[in-house]
Amino acid sequence: MPAGRRGPAAQSARRPPPLLPLLLLCVLGAPQAGSGAHTAVISPQDPTLLIGSSLLATCSVHGDPPGATAEGLYWTLNGRRLPPELSRVLNASTLALALANLNGSRQQSGDNLVCHARDGSILAGSCLYVGLPPEKPVNISCWSKNMKDLTCRWTPGAHGETFLHTNYSLKYKLRWYGQDNTCEEYHTVGPHSCHIPKDLALFTPYEIWVEATNRLGSARSDVLTLDILDVVTTDPPPDVHVSRVGGLEDQLSVRWVSPPALKDFLFQAKYQIRYRVEDSVDWKVVDDVSNQTSCRLAGLKPGTVYFVQVRCNPFGIYGSKKAGIWSEWSHPTAASTPRSGLYSLFCEMKQKLLLGMSGLRFPIWKSARARAAGRASRGAESRARGRCGASSSSSWAGSRSTRTAPTSASASTTSGVPGCRSRTKPATSTGRGDPALGQTGHGERSCQISSRGAGHPPCHMETQRPNPNWGHLCTLTSGHLSHPQQELGWPLSSNGHNSSDSHVKPPLGAPQWGCVCV
Amino acid sequence: MSRREGNLEDPQADSSVSLLPHLEAKIRQTHSLAHLLTKYAEQLLQEYVQLQGDPFGLPSFSPPRLPVAGLSAPAPSHAGLPVHERLRLDAAALAALPLLDVVRRRQAELNPRAQRLLRRLEDAARQALGAAVEALLAALGAANRGPRAEPTATASAASAAGVFPAKVLGLRVCGLYREWLSRTEGDLGQLLAGGPA
Repeated sequence: MPAGRRGPAAQSARRPPPLLPLLLLCVLGAPQAGSGAHTAVISPQDPTLLIGSSLLATCSVHGDPPGATAEGLYWTLNGRRLPPELSRVLNASTLALALANLNGSRQQSGDNLVCHARDGSILAGSCLYVGLPPEKPVNISCWSKNMKDLTCRWTPGAHGETFLHTNYSLKYKLRWYGQDNTCEEYHTVGPHSCHIPKDLALFTPYEIWVEATNRLGSARSDVLTLDILDVVTTDPPPDVHVSRVGGLEDQLSVRWVSPPALKDFLFQAKYQIRYRVEDSVDWKVVDDVSNQTSCRLAGLKPGTVYFVQVRCNPFGIYGSKKAGIWSEWSHPTAASTPRSGLYSLFCEMKQKLLLGMSGLRFPIWKSARARAAGRASRGAESRARGRCGASSSSSWAGSRSTRTAPTSASASTTSGVPGCRSRTKPATSTGRGDPALGQTGHGERSCQISSRGAGHPPCHMETQRPNPNWGHLCTLTSGHLSHPQQELGWPLSSNGHNSSDSHVKPPLGAPQWGCVCV
Repeated sequence: MSRREGNLEDPQADSSVSLLPHLEAKIRQTHSLAHLLTKYAEQLLQEYVQLQGDPFGLPSFSPPRLPVAGLSAPAPSHAGLPVHERLRLDAAALAALPLLDVVRRRQAELNPRAQRLLRRLEDAARQALGAAVEALLAALGAANRGPRAEPTATASAASAAGVFPAKVLGLRVCGLYREWLSRTEGDLGQLLAGGPA
């Protein structure tokens, strides 16, 4: 039995004996102007019925000449002819129809039940409204973004679909005094929502509820009592930036700005950060970020793209003891951690590919090597920072990186509970700008390939490319290794960072950016 | 010898030559408006029948052609009338568009969530093509003196009738609206082309 009060139509359906759920009303409809001389009247006109109930309707013909017959008349429902066995001639001028176990109405304007003459012309029509009374609305939640307005939303009752137009009305009043008010701005944040824009009092509780009404009855939600100050929320923190922390392969730095809308109010904001690996749906949440606007994520995987979001809870406004309402998450910001030693294995595979191109490549490579050797020495050992053939003493052909990936241990372990790391040293600019900012600029975010010493092929060049969703990423280009990209890298930032690196001007036509194979 | 400026043998040529440029531009503009509104009226009719449910959208649907007070269908002889006379009748029919507001109010009860339909009915009821045609006729010296629609009676009847008759009435009004707009577009096009007076 559906919940809620029954409307008049449904109540009238209860007058007949309950074992005979037939509905017969004797409401006469307005005379219909037919295409011919005859007209007809359908009874009942526009009845409202419960799903599963039955209907007995009649079509009475009258017109000129008198004595119009019911013979040949037939019924259609929503354009479909009804089986003749459902009809019965009651008398010379009246055709009856019996429908059982009615389904919910196909359209909210009502199912079209039509009485036709023998030639198919329409004599009369009646619209059936078959549905359910509304369930009690539930899950009312309200919030204010500026302590002046209030937005509420709710969920329709358990069944949801009533097959009838159901009107929802949000009501509110001051708890201790005042009259009922009705919200007027509906559908502001979804189909079941309403916005109260003004004239709300603080430091005093409101009672809020939702009334649902349709042709078959009405229902009222439970009353929600709240003080505006207890349901304050904000927009997400703006300007969320995620950047690398120097060369640390397992960390990212997150910075944001506190929401400006509530900056004039005394409150202690709480923040949460969540992050996930690019190809994962599992978020890790950093919950312990209190009233600060930066955090360092640690224990991350090297060479991995992470999506990061931040949200804010402005609890404690004007001394409110309530927990406050979390804002929505900020738009995802992506950044990648620097690559680890595992990458060297990948480089080795690429080196083997280079073997096949040695004929073309050597002259260029040699010249590049010669140029590099002619510069101020920075040590004999080649530091293929892409970990491609890292050992200076080994031939490049088939060499394997012997350099220990400094973060291999951390790469293979994951941190326990995510948390913000305190900074042991300030994050320095190592030529890696903030991907989220899309920072470019010569040297600012460049990676550098350096490969010196005989026998070491150059690392494969990584080039940064902008990505509309992720900012700038380091990706690997392959092929065209006879391209000047094979040559040694080019300068990093102008402050002379990594002065031990080779310093070679980028070849003409080469992209401005390369990536450090670290 | 007839001079080109004073060619009395071709009154139509004389009238077309004498059309002031701004008047011709106005006719052209009004014709474009009629064309646009005709398209909108077709969309309105399609949306209307869809929301009323079958059989309203079926090709075989042939409801009783209920008379609408103040808005009649174009007579069969309409096409044979002079263009100015046709435009007078067009303007008179378009002046009956408050009937669309009657339909809108009933649809607001039957289809309260059909915002696009309700907006289209409201826009249709407000459009001023009839006034524009009357202004043209006045400029041409053929002001409209036709009868005005009386939507009040129809509004009362619509509110008292059952839902099915109200749906049929709305279909009739939307259909007539489209039909008169189409005729107005055609008649203005003929006027623009210098058709027979």
